[in-house]
Amino acid sequence: MNRKELFKRLQPLIALIVMVVVLSIATGSQFLAVSNLRTILLQISVNLCLSIGMTLVILTGGIDLSVGAILAFAGAFAAGLFKNGLALSLFGVQVQFTVLGAVIAGILAGAALGLHNGLVITRLRLPPFVATLAMLCIARCFAMLWTSGHPVSALGTKFDFMGAGSFISVPMAVWISVTLAVLFQLFSKRTPLGRYIYAVGGSEKAAKFAGLNVNNVKLWVYTLAGALAGVAGLIQTARLDTAEPNAGLGYELDSIAAVVIGGTSLSGGRGSIFGTVLGCLIIGVLNNGLVLLGVSPFWQLGIKGYVIIAAVAIDNMSSRKQE
Amino acid sequence: MRRTFPFIVLIVIAGGILWFFPLFHVVSLKQAQDEKTAATFNPAQFAENFWTDKLLPSLAKAVPAEKLLPAIQHDPANAKKQFAHTLGMSDSYTYFLSGTGRVIAVSDDEISLALTVGSTNDEVTLPTGLLFGNAVRDGTGLLDVNAYPNSQDFNNIAAELNHLVETRVLPGLKEHAKVGATVRFAGCAEVDDESTDLKPLHVVPIQAEVE
Repeated sequence: MNRKELFKRLQPLIALIVMVVVLSIATGSQFLAVSNLRTILLQISVNLCLSIGMTLVILTGGIDLSVGAILAFAGAFAAGLFKNGLALSLFGVQVQFTVLGAVIAGILAGAALGLHNGLVITRLRLPPFVATLAMLCIARCFAMLWTSGHPVSALGTKFDFMGAGSFISVPMAVWISVTLAVLFQLFSKRTPLGRYIYAVGGSEKAAKFAGLNVNNVKLWVYTLAGALAGVAGLIQTARLDTAEPNAGLGYELDSIAAVVIGGTSLSGGRGSIFGTVLGCLIIGVLNNGLVLLGVSPFWQLGIKGYVIIAAVAIDNMSSRKQE
Repeated sequence: MRRTFPFIVLIVIAGGILWFFPLFHVVSLKQAQDEKTAATFNPAQFAENFWTDKLLPSLAKAVPAEKLLPAIQHDPANAKKQFAHTLGMSDSYTYFLSGTGRVIAVSDDEISLALTVGSTNDEVTLPTGLLFGNAVRDGTGLLDVNAYPNSQDFNNIAAELNHLVETRVLPGLKEHAKVGATVRFAGCAEVDDESTDLKPLHVVPIQAEVE
């Protein structure tokens, strides 16, 4: 790896360090306060779970616009099962779910919707943009139907532990998202399926000629993205002690932003989970810093938009220079 | 056999885990319905128990009005600090007080009392109409908002306690309190914020005896 390549890879990290230094100077001790850093990590944990799945999808050259809606459905599904159980009138019984059962059901619900995305993309050959846009509506519809449009709340401390609890003074949500990031970084770099994902994103034709079952790889990727959106939904629900059928509106955009800022190429084949972690941190630090600096929320959106443009533009420029 | 052995081990391990940490329980619909009913918060029952077991026995702890009213007039901020209860981060606060006063006026929805001997000013008013607000719930400081994750439950407690005052305290007060009568009361006063005029102090009675 030459110096230019190394610099390109380290761009997100350098950007993060610069932001941290600038905000530490601008906000005094506020930004570096332990409680504030804890808040930043807690706030990005949901986006990190979504973004890990989004990274895998984008690495294959695809996109997933449905993660926010899947998050809402998975959270509502798990909360509903846990709070109200599942009445099977035909048999005169009710299935009452434990926390573990509800959590697994929520993740499986997310995975099922992700698998649906994968099947539509690979079997019906619809572009990922269209297939996942449709799922955005479908998952939101499921969430509304399941909850009758009402929030499911008061889930209790056992359920809320994964979102509101702590272990060694670190929020559980952070433990979960960081563990997933480490596992998926290893998965993407050290397992055959992980390498296939890069191969499919690099060149789908070449991957086919090399004998890879491209459709299977895509099915796995969209299913995993759905399952991770399910985990994000559970964290969010547990954190708020409420499952909202309207939760996760616009989260897909934050997630795509984190992946792109983290250096993953939208055309696929290039990027890493580690970069996405940095992307999430950059967005989290930016959001937090703007609040600490007292910038109006209206301006915050615009600034975030320009940061995304700048990240992709810098990435494009350095890619062109390399070529 | 070699290929199936790891799967068998995996199934045994998963079975063991699920034995100790089951994913769900199956119960009859009737049992589920009974459990749900038992678990549903009943604000009326809660208010009844709270009224009998905690609220009435706590009346002896109410701050005497002859101590509280001069303190409020002299230094409201200090009186608040010394005698008031505040719920969470709310701006509003409540006093829990008791006293004896002479009825100086009776209207459709309140009775005005003068507490100081010889005074003709209404220093305390006791409502006799429909009650709103959280004075009775919050005034004694006996209920902790954090113990109620569902804020609707907490709001319902206030409504039920107001209903108990409306049905158990106010009818007798309304019937017997005539101008010139003496009223012994214990109750709670809710104050919106420090700018609220506390002359007179509006007290929701938990107990009121007319002599």
